[in-house]
Amino acid sequence: MSHAAADAHLLEPGAGVYHKKLGMWVFLASEVMFFTALIGSYIILRFGAAESWPVPSTVLNIPVTALNTFILICSSVSMVKAYAAAVEGDQKRLRLWLLVTVIGGATFVGVQVFEYTHLIHEHFLPSSGLFGSTFYTMTGFHGFHVSMGVICMTWVTIQAFRGRYTRENYHGVEVIGLYWHFVDLVWIILFTIVYLI
Amino acid sequence: MTTAAVHHEAAAGGHHELSFVRKYIFSTDHKIIGIQFLFMSLFFLLVGGLLAMMMRWQLGYPGKAVPGGGVLPETMASGGVILPEFYNSLVTMHGTFMVFFAIMPLLVGVYGNYLIPLKIGAPDMAFPRINMASFWIAFGAGIIMLAGFFATGGHAAAGWTSYAPLSARSDLSGVHMGQVLWLVGLIVLGLSSILGSMNYITTVVNLRAPGMTWFRLPLSIWALFITAILVLLAMPVLSGALIMLLFDQTLGTHFFDVSAGGQPLMWQHLFWFFGHPEVYILILPAMGIVSDIIANGSRKPIFGYHSMVFAIGAIAFLGWIVWGHHMFQSGMNPMLGTSFMISTMVIAVPSAIKTFNWMGTLWRGNIHFHTPMLNALAFVSMFVIGGLSGIFMASTPVDIFQHDTYFIVAHIHYVLFGGSLFAIFGAIYFWYPKMFGRMMSERLGKVHFVLTFVFYNLTFFPMHFLGMTGHMRRIYDPTQYEFLRPYQGTNRLITVGAFLLLASQLPFIWNFFWSLRKGAKAPLNPWRDNGLEWTVPSPPPHGNFATTPTVHHGPYEYSSPLTTDDYLPQNQEVRP
Amino acid sequence: MESTEHKHPNYMAVWAVLFVMTVIEVGVAMLSHIPRALLVLVLLGLAIWKAVLVAMYFMHLKFEPRRLLFVVLAPLPLAVILVVIVLQEFPG
Repeated sequence: MSHAAADAHLLEPGAGVYHKKLGMWVFLASEVMFFTALIGSYIILRFGAAESWPVPSTVLNIPVTALNTFILICSSVSMVKAYAAAVEGDQKRLRLWLLVTVIGGATFVGVQVFEYTHLIHEHFLPSSGLFGSTFYTMTGFHGFHVSMGVICMTWVTIQAFRGRYTRENYHGVEVIGLYWHFVDLVWIILFTIVYLI
Repeated sequence: MTTAAVHHEAAAGGHHELSFVRKYIFSTDHKIIGIQFLFMSLFFLLVGGLLAMMMRWQLGYPGKAVPGGGVLPETMASGGVILPEFYNSLVTMHGTFMVFFAIMPLLVGVYGNYLIPLKIGAPDMAFPRINMASFWIAFGAGIIMLAGFFATGGHAAAGWTSYAPLSARSDLSGVHMGQVLWLVGLIVLGLSSILGSMNYITTVVNLRAPGMTWFRLPLSIWALFITAILVLLAMPVLSGALIMLLFDQTLGTHFFDVSAGGQPLMWQHLFWFFGHPEVYILILPAMGIVSDIIANGSRKPIFGYHSMVFAIGAIAFLGWIVWGHHMFQSGMNPMLGTSFMISTMVIAVPSAIKTFNWMGTLWRGNIHFHTPMLNALAFVSMFVIGGLSGIFMASTPVDIFQHDTYFIVAHIHYVLFGGSLFAIFGAIYFWYPKMFGRMMSERLGKVHFVLTFVFYNLTFFPMHFLGMTGHMRRIYDPTQYEFLRPYQGTNRLITVGAFLLLASQLPFIWNFFWSLRKGAKAPLNPWRDNGLEWTVPSPPPHGNFATTPTVHHGPYEYSSPLTTDDYLPQNQEVRP
Repeated sequence: MESTEHKHPNYMAVWAVLFVMTVIEVGVAMLSHIPRALLVLVLLGLAIWKAVLVAMYFMHLKFEPRRLLFVVLAPLPLAVILVVIVLQEFPG
C-alpha cells in the first residue's frame, strides 16, 4: 500500500498489544454490557419480584447442564492449548486442539438444543411467565454467541489446516481464543446465577 | 473484500486498479465511508425535518388538511387531515430519525470516520473492512426503519423513547409490525455503532503517528475517542432492552407485562441508562469540533487545553450516573430522585468549564467570522441556553411542573439543534474543501447561517414559554384544552418559524451540490489550520500520507511567537 | 510492539481448579438447608473466582500490559451501578 504502513514500528506507544487483540478486548467490553442488560434484568426481575419464582432445579436439568458446563470449560482448555501450539509453530497440535475445541463447542450447543426441546415438550416456553422469558433470552443469546464462535472457530481451523498460522503469525488463533474464553466466562456466571441460585 | 483482491492491491502498490464499485460503493477507505455516512445522514436529516413540518402543521392548524396532504394514504391522513394515530407516529419517527439516523451518524459516522485517521497521522482505520461493514449495516438499518411507514397498523407510535407497556402491547396501541420494524432497525443500527466504536478506539490508541502524544491530540479527536467509549458501553444496554421488548412483541415474553409480574419501569431504567450517555454522544463530538474551529477562527490556542480534556472526560464519566433525571415523574423510588438531582447538577460544572474556555479562547483573539466560525459561535451561545434550561429541570421539584411539557422540547432542541446541528453545519463548511477538493460559497454560507439562526430561534425559543404555561408534549390538538387555547397564536408562530427554517436550508442544499462541480478548486489549507489533514491534498489520496508524519507540537499553535505565520501545523518543525 | 517472550501458565492446573470449583458449586447448591444469603454469596463468589481464573490465565490478562486491564475493568462498575440502583425500586 502506501509507504506510511511500513513505519508502523515508529508509532506512538499504544495499548502495548497488536491491533486485533486490542480490538477484540474492546469488543468484549461491549459484550459485557450486553450481557449485563440481560442478566441484570433477570436479577432485578427475580430478586425484586413480589411473588416467588419457580426454583430453577425443579424446572431445569442441573446435572446435564453441569456436565455441559464442564464440556465448555474443557473446550476453553483445548483452545488455550491450540494457542500455545500456534505460538510454538506446532502445526499438528494446533490443528488437533482446534478440532477438539470446535467439537466441544458444537457439543455444547447440541446439548443446549436438546435441553430446549425437552423443556418445550414440558410446556416450559418463553411465554411461561417471567422465568421462561428471562431463561430463554439469556441462555438463547449466550447460545447464539457460542454458535457464532463455533462458526468462526471452524473457519480458523480450516485456515490452520491450510498452514495459515505460524510462529510469526498466530494472531488469528489468539483472537478467536479470546472470544471463546469470554463466551465460557459468561456461561460460568450464567450457570451459577440462573441454574444454581 | 476477498483475499484475492487484497493481494492484488498489495501487488499493484496502489488502488488505482480498483473498479468504481470497489472504490466508491464497497470502499474500505475511511474518507469514502465518511462521505457515504454524510449523504445518508443528510437524507435522514431531511426526512426528520419533513416529519416535523407535518407535526407543526397539525399543531399550528389543528384539523386542517395539510397542503398536498391528499397524497397521504387514508390510514395516515383522512382527506389530508393528519389522524391522531399518525401524529403519534410522526412524533416517534421524527425523534428516532433525528437522533439515530441524522445527528449521531453525522457526528460519529461522518466526522469520526473522516477526521480520526487524518488528524492522528494514520493511513486509515485499524480495521478498514469492519469500517465498511459498519456503514452498510447502518444503511440496512435505515431501510428497515423506513419500511415501518408501510406496515399495517402504521409505524411505531410510542415515542422515540418507546415506553412500555404502550410499546409492548399491540392490543393497546394498534401498532404491531411498525413497532417490530422499529425495534429490529435499532438493534441492527446498534451493531453498526458498536463495531464502529471498537474501530475508533483501537485506531486512536494504537495508530497515532510519532510525536502525536495523547496531549497533542486535537480536541475533536479527544471528543470522538471518548464518545466512542460511551457508544461502546451504552449501546449494548439499549440492544438488550430492545431485544426484550421485541420478544414481548413477538415471542410472548413478559419482561414489561405487569399482569405476569413484568416491570414497565425497568424499561425506562434500561432505556435511560443508555439514553443519557447517548445525549453526551450527541454533544461531545460537537464540542470537540467547535473547539477546533474556534481556535482556528480566533487565531489563538484553545484556552485551557488540559481542562478541556478533563471536562470531556468528566462529562462522559458523570453521564453514567444521571439517567434518573429523565424519570423524576415515573414513580421511581424518591430516594433515587434526590441522588439523581445532585449528580445532574454536578454535571453542569464541566460543561461550564468548557464554555468559559471557549470564551477565553475568543478573548482578544484575531477573530475571522468565516462561515464555520459563525456556526461554532452559534453553538456556544445556543448550547448555553439549552444548558441553562437544563438547570431548571435538573431540580426534581421544578421538574414536577416541567416534565413532558414544551419546556423540555425547547431544551432538547436548543442542545440538539442549537448545539449539535450548528456544530455539524460548521463542520460541513470547514471540512468540505478537504473532502471534496472544492470551496463552498462563503456568501451563500453566511446567508444560510443567518436565516437558519433567526428562524431556528423563532421556532424554538417560544417553546420555553409554552412549556411554562403547561403545554404538554406529544399532544395532537392543543385547542382541545381550554387552558391552552389562549396560546394557539404562539403555536402558529412556531409553525411559521418552522416552515421558514426548512426553507432556509435551501441555500445550503444548493451550495453543497453546486460547489461539488462548480466550486473553486480548494487549496491545501484554505483555513490556515494546524491539523495534519491540511498538510495533504484536497481530497487526500488513499493512504492519506506519502510518509508517516512526525508531530512536533500541540494542535493549537496559532499566533505562536516561534514563527512568523499565525499558524503552525503540527508536523512542522520550528527552525531556531 | 509486543514482547515475544511467552510464559505459559500451567493450563491443566487451572483446568483442574475450575473442575473442582464447579463440583463444589453444584454440591453447595444442592445443600438446601444453608441460609439463602450465604448460599448466594458463596455461589457468586465461586463463579466470580472461576471467571477471574479464565480471564487471568486462559485469556492471559496476567501477562498483558497493565493498560489492557483498564479496558476489561471499565464496564464492571457500570454493570454494578445499573443493577444496584434499579434494585432500589424494589423493597423486597
